[in-house]
Amino acid sequence: MIVGLENWALARPELFLAAATALLLIYGVVRGEIATAFVSVATAVALLVTAALLFLPYREGTAFASLFIADRLTATMKALVLVGSAVAILMSRAYFEQAKAWRFEYPLVVALATLGMMLMISANDLMALYVGLELQSLALYVIAAFQRDSVRSTEAGVKYFVLGSVASGMLLFGSSLIYGFCGGTAFVQISGALADGRSAEIGVIIGLVFVVAGLAFKVSAVPFHMWTPDVYEGAPTPVTALFAVAPKIAAMSLLVSVLMGPFKPLFAQWQQIIVVASVFSMALGAFAALRQQNIKRLMAYSSIGNVGYVLLGVASGTEKGIQAVVFYLAIYMVMTLGVFATILMMKRRNIMVEEVSDLAGLARSQPMMAFGMLIFMFSLAGIPPLAGFWGKLYIFMAAVEAKLFVPAGLGVLASVVASYYYLRIVKVMYFDEPAEAIDRPSFGVNRVVALVAAFLIAIFSLVPQPLSLIAEAAAKGLFQ
Amino acid sequence: MILQALAFYVFAAITVASAAMVVTSRNPVYSVLFLILAFFNAAALFLLIGAEFIAMILVIVYVGAVAVLFLFVVMMLDINLTELREGFLEYFPVGALIGAVLFAELLLGVGIIGSGSTTVAALNAHGPHVAAIDNTRAIGRVLYTQYFYLFQVAGLVLLVAMIGAIVLTLRSRPGVRRQRAGEQINRTKEQAISVVKVPTRGGV
Amino acid sequence: MFADIHTFFTTNWLGIAILILLQCLAVTVPLLLAVAYMTYADRKIWASIQLRRGPNVVGPFGLLQPMADGLKLVLKETIIPSSANGILFVIAPMIAFMTALVAWAVVPFDNGWVIADINVGILYLFAISSLGVYGIIIAGWASNSKYAFLGALRSAAQMVSYEVSIGFVLVTVLLCVGSLNLSKVVLAQSGWFWNWFWLPLLPMFVIFFISALAETNRTPFDLPMSEAELVAGFHTEYSAMTFGLFFLGEYANMILLSALGAVLFLGGWHSPIPYAPFTLVPGVIWFALKIAFLLFIFSWTKGTLPRYRYDQLMRLGWKVFLPVSLAWVVLTAAVLQFGGWLPKP
Repeated sequence: MIVGLENWALARPELFLAAATALLLIYGVVRGEIATAFVSVATAVALLVTAALLFLPYREGTAFASLFIADRLTATMKALVLVGSAVAILMSRAYFEQAKAWRFEYPLVVALATLGMMLMISANDLMALYVGLELQSLALYVIAAFQRDSVRSTEAGVKYFVLGSVASGMLLFGSSLIYGFCGGTAFVQISGALADGRSAEIGVIIGLVFVVAGLAFKVSAVPFHMWTPDVYEGAPTPVTALFAVAPKIAAMSLLVSVLMGPFKPLFAQWQQIIVVASVFSMALGAFAALRQQNIKRLMAYSSIGNVGYVLLGVASGTEKGIQAVVFYLAIYMVMTLGVFATILMMKRRNIMVEEVSDLAGLARSQPMMAFGMLIFMFSLAGIPPLAGFWGKLYIFMAAVEAKLFVPAGLGVLASVVASYYYLRIVKVMYFDEPAEAIDRPSFGVNRVVALVAAFLIAIFSLVPQPLSLIAEAAAKGLFQ
Repeated sequence: MILQALAFYVFAAITVASAAMVVTSRNPVYSVLFLILAFFNAAALFLLIGAEFIAMILVIVYVGAVAVLFLFVVMMLDINLTELREGFLEYFPVGALIGAVLFAELLLGVGIIGSGSTTVAALNAHGPHVAAIDNTRAIGRVLYTQYFYLFQVAGLVLLVAMIGAIVLTLRSRPGVRRQRAGEQINRTKEQAISVVKVPTRGGV
Repeated sequence: MFADIHTFFTTNWLGIAILILLQCLAVTVPLLLAVAYMTYADRKIWASIQLRRGPNVVGPFGLLQPMADGLKLVLKETIIPSSANGILFVIAPMIAFMTALVAWAVVPFDNGWVIADINVGILYLFAISSLGVYGIIIAGWASNSKYAFLGALRSAAQMVSYEVSIGFVLVTVLLCVGSLNLSKVVLAQSGWFWNWFWLPLLPMFVIFFISALAETNRTPFDLPMSEAELVAGFHTEYSAMTFGLFFLGEYANMILLSALGAVLFLGGWHSPIPYAPFTLVPGVIWFALKIAFLLFIFSWTKGTLPRYRYDQLMRLGWKVFLPVSLAWVVLTAAVLQFGGWLPKP
């Protein structure tokens, strides 16, 4: 056995994805722009195959000198991320073709970002965490600016890059403090050092705060959310769809595994931080979105609010809480992809529109599209019996069980406020004077995605067992 | 040992002074030059603690490549210096506060580590013995074994950086004539020269 | 008495300092003489290529010409342009000259004849040679002149580009040696001249030599000072000794890269045939001969080749040398690993 390569087979999905990306990159470079359609589909297929490889056969343990860990939670989270990325790639073609930015590098950079997400989900060491995070972030900075002839897109890319670098810096600073005080970067070493009673050391706590701040930036939790609305609005819409889904899930999973793993002994300390971040995220997501006219910007605030709910699950620190987190993230992914698929279909005279007012009277011109949007908005607002309701219910139940009564109460209040702007969209679609009609959406991936998402959300109450079983199994992985 | 201590203080003082000049000097080109000086002295400090490999890599990578490109860009920028200075006083207190906090934390860290608690022993237990083998070998041994995974992922990060740089800046303009060495070499005499019989007073 | 002197120079700090100073002088003085006569040799070689006589007025065969040139540069007035950045303008040639000199500290002239026998000698040389670009880029900027600045930009891009392939060449050599110490590099090449690395690593030797031409801004890569376009490139505004330092630095750099080539590929101080009478000749003579041979090729190239265009230069560096040298690194590593020829640690 070569040192450093132990159990390398555990990382087969990652190795497959890396190899597939490299091959497709070479193919794209050789064939040039005409290869774009093939590369795009092939990358999406590769992502789905990777997701399948996670479970066929399923394995767990640590690999690469314990820098890498695979268990049920990481496998579930990776599967979510992979599916989200694959769908986001498939959804992007029409938009980029119209923007004349349809290039074969796009799906490949997304695949590399996804690889980074998988590596950070599987991190079992602060250094592995950092390299995975950087791989993901760097790729995301690139695709935020991918529509390079658009000022807004490049601005989004630069903003994301600058603020993201600051966050990485904070993460590194925190990591180095933790390394100094715990004598190691491996999660096992850290939890070992913290368990033996020196846990009250101020340096570790400062380090922890910095690490959490860095991760909070990546999940765009208040007070590190400032980049989110600008980047979401400026980035090309399919990229926004990806941003709202995959990196959120990955960073959230990382946050869970860092907090529940090496920093479990400091539960009392980090719980306060997470609760505060959670409450403020829920509040900001609810109130700031009220006045937004741009749907992408509105979805940015909505995602901040949703992150707040997820963080409430994390803050409960129980198996139930983590279960609720997985459950919520899966539902959130389906809803968000559905909304963005609908936004991507919003064209008027073949030009993309993205204002709320553009939706006026949609129910009369495109009843199907309006009905889909209605389902997503009701679900996001948490109206039973749609899937979003169950997600929030689980989170609040977990929070109440963990005796987080006040934050849970505030969360319910925030979701009442938030439902106002979700319902406002429904009102605009169904009751406002019709604006100029939206084009009839052509049959394509976006329509399929929107239909499937709406269907899944609508029937969720009938068959909730599979998802809750998966969430239960995933959460067990962390508490073995 | 006095010589070593003296060298340490000289290099450290220059490092700190030039780092201060990086942020205070009026001309960005000077800032970059002072940054280079700071890198250089940091490399010398590495040499003093016996980390010759890192010292050399610091010079090669940062001074020899990164800073050159940095200088390259800064020299070509048309920066309005007065405008650049305008916000300085406004942001100085905040910056100073953050700096002070970070510094205090650093002191805290050094204080704990230097007090001879178990952490030093724990740290030394992991690394190879510095005295026993030269440090190029020592780094090589862990880099390609224990930290193989990190090394490979760092490679992927660089791949993304490369793709990103190309995809965001490379534009294929129509009508650009490129040199094709293969075609040039494959050109034969028949293709290149045509023998024309020029009639007298007729011209070609 | 003798023992006293020995202890003074090995233990007393003053003695050590004096010894180091003397060692530096012992390297620097012959080096500067070599630079002076390199200019002479250069001009004689070009003259022969162009069927002229070359310098033949000052002294017998013109042998005192370099001295006369040097004297002229020293005695002339140093002019600092009024709009130039005074401090940097003066510092730049010093950097160019100093970097060319300090690199010699690790070059082994013979077995054990080296000022600093450090473990990372190759890296040290590489680091120092990558610093040379600062002299040029600072000169170009501080001159506050378009031609100088353009020359500096060209030079910076060019040197950074070719350093990459030189780096990979160094990697292949040190893969074969298993050490970064230059003396060990030479010792690994003992034996007949076909044991030297020029033969097993022939493509790398060619790439190294061409990159060395580019690193020293020599024809056919002398774009930073191409007189037809940029007057005199980065040193357009320089006169007298400030120009002289650039000139000395350029030649010292050429000699340095030739020395590096001799150490890495031509067996350093080893004689080509490992038997008497060849082994009786001191190693330093062999080393000097090998350097002279490479320098001759430098001059020969300058006498025969036209200048590259800038895009051709970049294409050669990035699209030809980089992939080839990278592939050769992988190939060398694979051959060493699977052929069982890895150097013993």
